[in-house]
Amino acid sequence: MQEFEFEGKTTEEAIEKACKELNRPKEELDIEILEPGSAGIFGIVGTKKAKIKVTLPQEEQEEPTEENDVDFAKKTLQDILSLISTEAEVTAGTEDGKITLNIYGDKSGLLIGRKGKTLDALQFIVNKIVNKSLSRKVQVVVDSENYRQRRRESLIQIALKLGDKAKRIGKPVTTNPLIPRERRIIHLALKDDPQLDTRSRGEGLLKKVLIIPKRS
Amino acid sequence: MKDLIAYIAKALVDKPEEVEVKEIEGEQTSVIELKVAKEDLGKVIGKQGRTARAMRTILSAASTKINKRSVLEIIE
Repeated sequence: MQEFEFEGKTTEEAIEKACKELNRPKEELDIEILEPGSAGIFGIVGTKKAKIKVTLPQEEQEEPTEENDVDFAKKTLQDILSLISTEAEVTAGTEDGKITLNIYGDKSGLLIGRKGKTLDALQFIVNKIVNKSLSRKVQVVVDSENYRQRRRESLIQIALKLGDKAKRIGKPVTTNPLIPRERRIIHLALKDDPQLDTRSRGEGLLKKVLIIPKRS
Repeated sequence: MKDLIAYIAKALVDKPEEVEVKEIEGEQTSVIELKVAKEDLGKVIGKQGRTARAMRTILSAASTKINKRSVLEIIE
């Protein structure tokens, strides 16, 4: 934010000066009158100049660039990984407006964890940290060894298999408890099957997906 | 272990200078005690304990790496 002070014989004169110097119409300026000024007696004794403070709207301020966000996200994850004492490295990029961080060099799969649990935890924490220091929201995706894509494919396979089973036995079947993002993959995989209906069942973060054969 | 939790906690709270982490080492299991400013308690716990759970998951991955077990306790 930029602030300026102007003086004049009257407030009007001070405002006029401000408009001229800042090259903006009166309406665009945020004007605060510090001293109204007075003409004094006969215009000689006790004349006081009018003083105003003008604040320019914030548009001049620089927004942190997207590149900085990516670097910050990358550094945060890299710092955490080095504190876990792994030699894993991070590469960063952007995709569809999301920041993507890829961990490589974690041969044991330690950073992925069972069913991607550790990867999700890292992603959650990095998102929290990055979004805390930014005014706008960005989404950070953390991946390792292409786990997200592999998991997605295996979930689709599970969905199709369970869908077949439901049709065959004519009864609803359920998946294991899944987090929202993974349930979504199941729902979408079976969305176009006219013989099946899908619903989430359960409470909290983890819910099962119920795959129901429609009666024909 | 201590540094890992301190790093994450400091990045999440509004008053990083009030973050205190103590590590009580046992033979197999270490207890990591995390203390933050009262106003920041919610930040390290998170909605339905999600942030605390994520920190515990990362902590257990880090402990596995060195063949140990660690427990995170958030002190009120």
